[in-house]
Parts: sequence; C-alpha cells; structure tokens
Amino acid sequence: MEAWNLIIGNPVLNVLIALSHIFGGSFGLAIIGLTIIIRLISWPLTKRQLNSTKALQEMQPKIQELQKKYGKNQQKLQQEMMKLYKEAGVNPLGCLWPMLIQFPIWIALYQAIMRALATTPENLLDLAQRLYSWDIVNQAIPLSSQFLGLDLAGQGNIILAIIVGGTMWVQQKMTQAPAVDPRQGSTSRMMLLLMPLMFGFLSLSFPAGLGLYWAVSNIIGIITQYFVTGGWGYLRSRSPSQPTPVK
Amino acid sequence: MKRPKVLLLTVTAFLPLVLVSCIGVGQAASGWSGPTVQDGIIYVASRDGGVAAVNSSNQDVLWFYGMVTTSAGGLACGPTSTPTAIYATPIVDGGLVYVGTYGGQVLALSALARSQNLTFPQQRYGEWEWDCPLNGAKSNAIVAGLLVHEDAIYVSSSNGRVYSLDKEFGDLNWESKVLDETHKKLWTSPVIQGNTLYVNTYDGHVYALSLETGELLAWSFRAEAGFASSPVVYEDHIYGGSFDRYLYAIEIGSNVWMWKFPQEKPAGNWFWASPIVNEGIVYAGCLDGKLYAIEAETGEELWEFDAASPIVTSPVLMDNLLTIADESGTVYVFDVSAEFGDEAVPLRAISIGASVRSPFCAQNGLIYIRGEDNSIYVVDIERGQIVEGWPLSLTAEE
Repeated sequence: MEAWNLIIGNPVLNVLIALSHIFGGSFGLAIIGLTIIIRLISWPLTKRQLNSTKALQEMQPKIQELQKKYGKNQQKLQQEMMKLYKEAGVNPLGCLWPMLIQFPIWIALYQAIMRALATTPENLLDLAQRLYSWDIVNQAIPLSSQFLGLDLAGQGNIILAIIVGGTMWVQQKMTQAPAVDPRQGSTSRMMLLLMPLMFGFLSLSFPAGLGLYWAVSNIIGIITQYFVTGGWGYLRSRSPSQPTPVK
Repeated sequence: MKRPKVLLLTVTAFLPLVLVSCIGVGQAASGWSGPTVQDGIIYVASRDGGVAAVNSSNQDVLWFYGMVTTSAGGLACGPTSTPTAIYATPIVDGGLVYVGTYGGQVLALSALARSQNLTFPQQRYGEWEWDCPLNGAKSNAIVAGLLVHEDAIYVSSSNGRVYSLDKEFGDLNWESKVLDETHKKLWTSPVIQGNTLYVNTYDGHVYALSLETGELLAWSFRAEAGFASSPVVYEDHIYGGSFDRYLYAIEIGSNVWMWKFPQEKPAGNWFWASPIVNEGIVYAGCLDGKLYAIEAETGEELWEFDAASPIVTSPVLMDNLLTIADESGTVYVFDVSAEFGDEAVPLRAISIGASVRSPFCAQNGLIYIRGEDNSIYVVDIERGQIVEGWPLSLTAEE
C-alpha cells in the first residue's frame, strides 16, 4: 500500500493539485490537463495500438477470404488467421494493452480526486501527509469541486454518462471491422454496446471527476484515431458485407 | 473465440472496480470530538455516533444518546444507516449539553432527561433540536466547534454560512450570507471579540460579522492561501494557520498581515490546530510535528520542539504547564516558565498508546483525551502518568 502511494498514488495526486493551481484553481481543467499528459505519455503504446488497428483493417479482405474458405472448420480458420496475423506482425489482442496500462492510472486518479477534494475532514487531514513540499501544491489547497455545474467529488449525472458512453462507442466503432460471420457479428455488436454501457453506468456510480477523465480521454482517442488511421474508419459502415475501405 | 472474448471483456470492465474496492480511497467521516469535563462528569461524543456522560471517578456511563444517519446507498444498494459522526466537542452550559453533528443538527440535551432515557427532545427539560438548512449547498454538516456566548450559540456550517441560535429555545437569530463561495464550507469555528464575530475561510478570508445581526462589517482580510485552523483573537490581533504552511498574525482593521511565521521559508506542513496565546507568546502546533513558541508582537521564534509526529490538536495551558499531544499518542508537558534555548525540553513525555486527533480537556492537573481507538484516557501531567484509560463502547439508537 505504501509502495503504491509512493510510486503512483501520491505523484498523481500532487500533479493534479499543481495543475489545478496552474489553471487558476479549476480542478476540472486540472483533470483535463492530466488526461492530456497521460495520453502523451502513453502515446507510443497508443500509436502501436492504432497501427495494429490499421493493419487489421487492411487485412479484412484476406480475413474474409479465409472465413469463406474455412467457414465450416473453425479450428482451421483460427489457425489460418493466427498465421496471417503472425505474417503481418499484428497481435489482435495488442489493442488491450493501453487499456490495461490505464487501470492503475484510473485507480490513482479516483483516489486522487477523492483525496484532493477532501470530502471528509479525515480526508483533508490525511491529505496533509501526502502533499509534496512544493509551494504550488500547498497554495492550491483546499480545492473547489465545482466544474461546469458538476460536483467532481459527487456521482456523475446522466449527461456525463451519455457523453462517456457515446464517445466510447464512437471510438470503438471507428476500429471495429464488421464481421462476415453472423455469430462473430453478434459478438462484435454486443461488445460494441457492452463497454460503453458499462462505462456509462460506472460514470453514474463513480465521482464525476473520473467520468470527466474518461470522456476527455475518449475524445482525445477519437481525434488521434482520426488522424493516425486517416478518417472515421468503420464508423460510417452499416452493412457487415460492405466494410468501409481504409483511406 | 466468443467465450474468451466475453470473459476478457468482463474482467477488463470489473478489474478497476475490484482494485478500487481493495485499495480504498480514504476515511469515512467518523468524528474527532473531544471530551468536556464538568463537576466530575465527562461529556464526550463517541465514535459510536452519540454523546455520553461518564462518571470520571468510576467510569460508569450515566447516559448515552445515540444517533444514526441514514443515507441513500449506491445504484445497486439500498439506504444505509451509520453512526452519526461528531467533530464538535460538546459544550455544557446551564444543565444542557450542546452538540453539533455531521448530519447538520445542533442538539441541546438535558442531562436530567437523558439520564431517564426519555424520548428526545423533552421541551419541559429545555431540550431542542435545530436542523441546519442546506440552502442549496451539497452539505450542511457541522464540523467546527460550537461557540456559546451569552444567550446565543454560533454555528459554522458546511453550507458556507454562520448561524446564530437562541441558546434557550434553539430559534434562529440570524444567518450570515455564504462566506466562502468557492468551497461552500466552513470547517473552522468563529471567535468573538467585543460585538464582532470573526470567521476565517478556506478561500483565505477573515470576515468580521456583527454579533447582533450577522451582517458583514466593513473590514475583511485576504490571505495568500486558505486558512486551515480556526482563528484566535488576542489583543486586537488574529492568529490563524494557513494551508500555505505559514501562521499568520493579522491586526484587526489592517489589510496587510503583521507577520507570518516562519519568516524564512514555510514550515514542514500546515498549522492545522488553532494556536493559543498567553502573555505575549503564541504556542502553535504544526502537522510537521513541531511545537513553536513565537513572540506574539514580532513573529520571532523563541523556541521549538520536535515531537516527530504531526500535532493535530491545540495545546492546552494550565498554570505554567503547557501540554501538547501528537498524533502518535505521546503527551508532552513543558514548563513555560523555564528558560529554553532554541529547542525546548519537555518536562514529561507520556505515551497513551493511541492516536490523538481530538481536542483535549484540562482540569485540576489532569488531561482528558479521547483517543482514536475510542477510549478515554486520563493523564496526570504533574506525575507524568496515565491515571486511567477505558474504552467507550456504546450502542446507537435509531
């Protein structure tokens, strides 16, 4: 626990408070600033993920051919697809790494929001022991939890939940190639809906500050994806049999 | 392929939730009210969510009034009842015990009615209850200590306002405007000098309010950072600790601070506890673990003592004996009439073995402390030993 606070928890907390001071005491802008910093730090991973996505999109015609050829033999189909991925140097699960790496950041951010905004007197007193001796940090305390009508320490509202879910859906839809196999298609559709719904629900249960982080992170993700993969990807695609060609 | 994908997805979504619940995010409000002693009876708010009257000679609980706070659960949970947290130390005045709660209530409890376990409030015994309005704020919790002065009680609320209540009936005399628009909470107690009430805020202001009407008076002061401790008034000067790790001395009526301490660079942490001032010397405990003695007029340091553990509570002075308790549970006693160099040497150091965050009470050479283990400790500071220590284990009633 102490190691966690030393390595991740306290640095995130102090950077967040310092950013808040830089942004004139706005904790909401500090969260947005931190989100941008995190996205910049994780850019090499994100770029790798986007390149994988792009490569997967480009491989779609070959995958469809394989599906037609080995549609009745799932085992053979999997073998051939793995062979194809290997030849192209693509890891189909590689896109999960940036998300997994973000877990500790989400947790640290959740803790930092609750600690920095000191919802209870105990939390405020506890905060004193976690702050660095930087003037910029100490001058920012205590922080205001209000941002654009949101109480960042309180549970998120329905508008924030819709923004989080909606932006996540757009981001996923941009990268998810329509499946030819109806069974795979239903799985893909379920996954496309499940994650945004899940995060929308979490935005209602967790502090609004975390919801703000997810929303901003998704928007940055959409923008970078647009420019790296060169367009809206599969967002405009309607029919599973007519995937949008990659530009 | 379908099953592993769904499994992976589920794990991906729920892993943060599981980790968050394992790691935790801090402490719930449980209160750090201190004890008050009058006529051999200790009045103390327990962590069980209520106020107890305990016979100091035999530790018998004479009465206990418990409270619970019902709050809405999360999306998947129903309402939950938890013991009401109490931060304000009970005040005993005219047979009534006044208590402010984190649930936003001020109660006047009659010792007579409570000892008979009658339903609350018994108006014929002078009991009353006042619910602090939310007034558009997200909380009406009372964290700061109550202030009883003449016929009124003054209450700082987490909705950002100060209230004056009639001491006898609990009627509202006046309410101030919101004093801290940024944070909307007042967790520091007001102080009175003459006909003026002084309040400091988390946005770094000291405000002067009319004691009669609650209206803001012309003078106010703006510090460079928010105030962490309640103000102390001594000879037309206000002393208060700030979140920028300085202790400020402000001359009432002036717009610039008289001095701030330390003069060179900030202290190691916040001056969280209110300082005390006696015979021209300010004694201030700091969360950096040090006790400082400072010349009240000039802000010059006279001496310091390093307790090595944060000092959360204000010092107490009895005759020449100054007592502090650090968070690790060590009580230090100093003879302030002694000649110290730069560093003071305590007369005694007594460990009670429990963390201390609550204000403590001094009477007849004894110090009464409520430890964070929800026990009461009585320390004889002259003999330098714990006289008694016993747990407060009581049950709250709906």
